[in-house]
Amino acid sequence: MEKKNPDSQVIVVTSGKGGVGKTTTVANISTGLAKLGYSVVVMDLDIGLKKLDLILGLENRVIYDIIQVVEGECTLKQALVKDKRFAELYMLPAAQTRNKDDITTEQVQNICNELKPDFDFIFIDCPAGIEQGFRNSIAAADKAIVVTNPEVSAVRDADRIIGMLESANFKDIKLIVNRIRPDMVRSGDMLSIDDLMEHLCIELLGVVPEDSGVVISTNRGEPIILNERSSAAKAFNNIVQRLTGNEIEFMTLEQDTFWSKLKRNMGFKK
Amino acid sequence: MFNFLKRIFADEKKSSRSRANDRLRVVLTHDRIGSSSQLMETLQEEIIALIAKHIEIDGTPEVHFITEGRHTALDISIPLKGR
Repeated sequence: MEKKNPDSQVIVVTSGKGGVGKTTTVANISTGLAKLGYSVVVMDLDIGLKKLDLILGLENRVIYDIIQVVEGECTLKQALVKDKRFAELYMLPAAQTRNKDDITTEQVQNICNELKPDFDFIFIDCPAGIEQGFRNSIAAADKAIVVTNPEVSAVRDADRIIGMLESANFKDIKLIVNRIRPDMVRSGDMLSIDDLMEHLCIELLGVVPEDSGVVISTNRGEPIILNERSSAAKAFNNIVQRLTGNEIEFMTLEQDTFWSKLKRNMGFKK
Repeated sequence: MFNFLKRIFADEKKSSRSRANDRLRVVLTHDRIGSSSQLMETLQEEIIALIAKHIEIDGTPEVHFITEGRHTALDISIPLKGR
């Protein structure tokens, strides 16, 4: 592993609510960064309910897990699983038969400190909820990405999580809106990006449209960001660019003017 | 034809999106300060009682939360009786 930058960024990806796409986001962003040559490690802290190995397609390569590392059964280097596509990407697997209380915040911090010299980006895949798993996940991070869906319950949980991150003195909290459907926003049946920004009031990092290709890529264990024709891949690539300091415009979900409404309802597509 | 016109001139206020926004505004305000919607009534009653002890109130006082960004303030408007 060779670092591009002297500094390391430790980023927790969290949401409160489950099923909004945290793990998919982590898998895609980390793959995208590794593709650009950054050295990246992803820590799965969803102990007892691991998913990251499956989403990255690395489930057959897992030998040790993070709990075995903290219990001294193996070294941290032994537990790291190398990605099959990018030499710069590694995963630290969660344990499946243990639970969130089997690791402490200090142990997570120690692991992160041990990883920093080798990696530009350390991502922490946070479990759903606001209990020990969440506390462990934010303990070592200095930045946070909150993933939400344009849906009331996900927004409410995101708001709670943002409040908790602010109380924990996080200064860098950014939002990813996942699974948005521009057609439903236009017809007035889904919260828009502006609506979400009004409610949550944090900086927007990315907007990922609903894309059936995500299910297919998950089936195959290949992050969708590698499929250049997918709209979700474009969105994840934009997020990767923003994380590396490039300013990329947000995808425009066309304005709903009188004429676009008229055309749509008369059967003309856009 | 009527349905077609109705769709074009659909009242945004009635869309499920604006319902979602309205509900979120209320819920997030209460979540952030850790209160229930019962609190508003209690506040309103107690504030009226307190003010009415000293000055005469004219009409119904209004108590609202106003939010700016992620911060919330209490906005109280009490109409007073003139002489």
